[in-house]
Amino acid sequence: MSRRLLIVEDDEDTREFIAKGFGEEGYVIEQAEDGREGLYHATDGGFDAVVLDRMLPGLDGLSLIKSMRAAGVKTPVLMLTAMSAVDERVKGLRAGADDYLVKPFSFQELHARIEALLRRPQEAEESPTLNCRDLEMDLLTRKVMRNGREITLTPREFQILEFFLRRKNRVVSRTMLLEGVWDYHFDPNTNVVDVHISKLRRQLDEGGEPPLIETVRGAGYMISDG
Amino acid sequence: MDNLRLSFNNSRTRLVLASMVLSTLLTATVLALVYVTANRSIESETRSVVSAELTGLADEYERRGLIGLMRAIERRLPTAADRDALYLLTDRFGVNLAGNLKQWPENIAAGSGWVDLEVRRADNDELVPVSAASVRLPGGERLLVGRDALARQQFDRVLLRSVGIALAIALALSVLTGWLFTRLVFSRLSDIASAAENIVSGDLSRRMPLRGTGDEFDQVSGTLNTMLDRIEELVSNLRTTSNSIAHDLRSPLSRLKQRVETLSDPSKTDQEREIDIARASAEIDHVLRVLGQLTEISRAEAGVGREQFEPVDLQQLVADVVELYDPVAVDQGIQLEVTGTASPIPGHRPLLSQALSNLLENAMRYAPQDTTVTINLSEDGAYTNLSVRDRGPGVPQEDLPRLQMPFVTLDPARTERNAGLGLALVAAISHMHGGAFEASNCNPGLEAKIKLARKP
Repeated sequence: MSRRLLIVEDDEDTREFIAKGFGEEGYVIEQAEDGREGLYHATDGGFDAVVLDRMLPGLDGLSLIKSMRAAGVKTPVLMLTAMSAVDERVKGLRAGADDYLVKPFSFQELHARIEALLRRPQEAEESPTLNCRDLEMDLLTRKVMRNGREITLTPREFQILEFFLRRKNRVVSRTMLLEGVWDYHFDPNTNVVDVHISKLRRQLDEGGEPPLIETVRGAGYMISDG
Repeated sequence: MDNLRLSFNNSRTRLVLASMVLSTLLTATVLALVYVTANRSIESETRSVVSAELTGLADEYERRGLIGLMRAIERRLPTAADRDALYLLTDRFGVNLAGNLKQWPENIAAGSGWVDLEVRRADNDELVPVSAASVRLPGGERLLVGRDALARQQFDRVLLRSVGIALAIALALSVLTGWLFTRLVFSRLSDIASAAENIVSGDLSRRMPLRGTGDEFDQVSGTLNTMLDRIEELVSNLRTTSNSIAHDLRSPLSRLKQRVETLSDPSKTDQEREIDIARASAEIDHVLRVLGQLTEISRAEAGVGREQFEPVDLQQLVADVVELYDPVAVDQGIQLEVTGTASPIPGHRPLLSQALSNLLENAMRYAPQDTTVTINLSEDGAYTNLSVRDRGPGVPQEDLPRLQMPFVTLDPARTERNAGLGLALVAAISHMHGGAFEASNCNPGLEAKIKLARKP
């Protein structure tokens, strides 16, 4: 069954850009160009996710999301904002957004985040182990085995690997890692994430196996079964 | 400007008038009080003397009879003129028996109490104003004792004139002082106003005139001048910043334009185009990063986000940031060392993390291989200090204060990723936390320190 996505965005170019991208990924798209229309569609229900611009004519994004949550609509919302300031992001999340993305963004990043939002509910019924190819992670004993060999990881490395395994077959961007693993809401100037990943890679691929974490050019990293 | 003058004049007139009216009223009240009191005390003195005399003479009549009284009056007459005293004794038919009045005044019944009247004197036949009291004696004779009121009326007139003169002088003085006072006040105020007008029309270097008297006007002007110094400094910073913004964005944008223009060059291969696009994209990222940082700086300077302050455990925060950067440091052959302790402070956790990470990135940029970068926490009175020290070459002493200014990089080879905004943001974040940014040379190395207020 194809997924239904609501895009609330007043800028036509951006809206078309998002709609085209998700259309190609097989989503069914509904578009709204102002806050009131957006709220009307959102409360109508039937959407799997909402992409919501922060600044909208009629009703701004923050108010829209508050009204939507007040009306009991739990559809995950990703907020788009041109304001990169840290506390603006925090405000969006406090108002009830599930994720946010700063403009300008790459479609890959948006796609990865929407996919991550759609996966969330399934995490409730989780198994104590996560797998990918020849790697198994036991969340209870906190043991990681690859190809029958135990891999010793620091708590942080464990966390990064878990983050990847929970988003298997999906691109994980550097910002997603910074936010999800370190709870950092700004872009460091240095390549801190890359260094952490290459450290983790050395641990994981020690036995000469094919690299588990792939680099996706211009987008981030991915772990896949394939 | 005309309006300003006009309203000055209006309020000046009002002020003079009000002060005049007030002080004149006050003087008039005081003088009226003096006049009434003086009058009353003289009058009551006269009355008590007259009634004492009247009682004494009536006693004489009782003890020595009519003849005794007549003699007593005769005895008093020679000195009566000096004392302005008036006497008249008549028999029951109104015939004069003794005294210095010609006849019993008409319409006055004996014993009718205190009266003011005009009677003709017996000695010099003058009509004089008299204050008198009278009594009817047991034998039907009438006795009147009085005082010539002429002298008192003259005194009264003198007193009234003096009061009038005093009032006039007071009025004149109050007009004068009011005028002088307002002239003083408004000349100072118009000095300040004209300085302000100059400043409004663009001369930011103009200052309020000081007269060196140390009075309230000088104090106010001094305070205004301090404010103007600060404003001038901020405006000049702003000017520098906007110039720098223009400059800093112009270069990547013009590079971007070149790349986009060369894209349509038909001789380019697809691979070259791809490289051009990637570079153009990197230029855009740089521009966006600069704009994002500028927004963040101005928000922090404006204190936006203070409402999100929460208790922040700085030791935990330091540990987290160090954990994030440690692998990068290890790659560069730098050791990260954490020392000192501090109790939690109210703060904006994400911004504090960002400040520390900017400081760390800066230190690691200049730290030589195989050296240590020290992150230290300490408490000092009302502040908690968070410092990051490298063992690099340090910074020329005269450049230290410029470090926290936007777009200042002491690195001549300014890299793409370093627009010189990192430390400006750190400074803005410490200002937001009621503190300051300080940098000092430690020989070797630079210590960059942020002070954070321990109480909100």
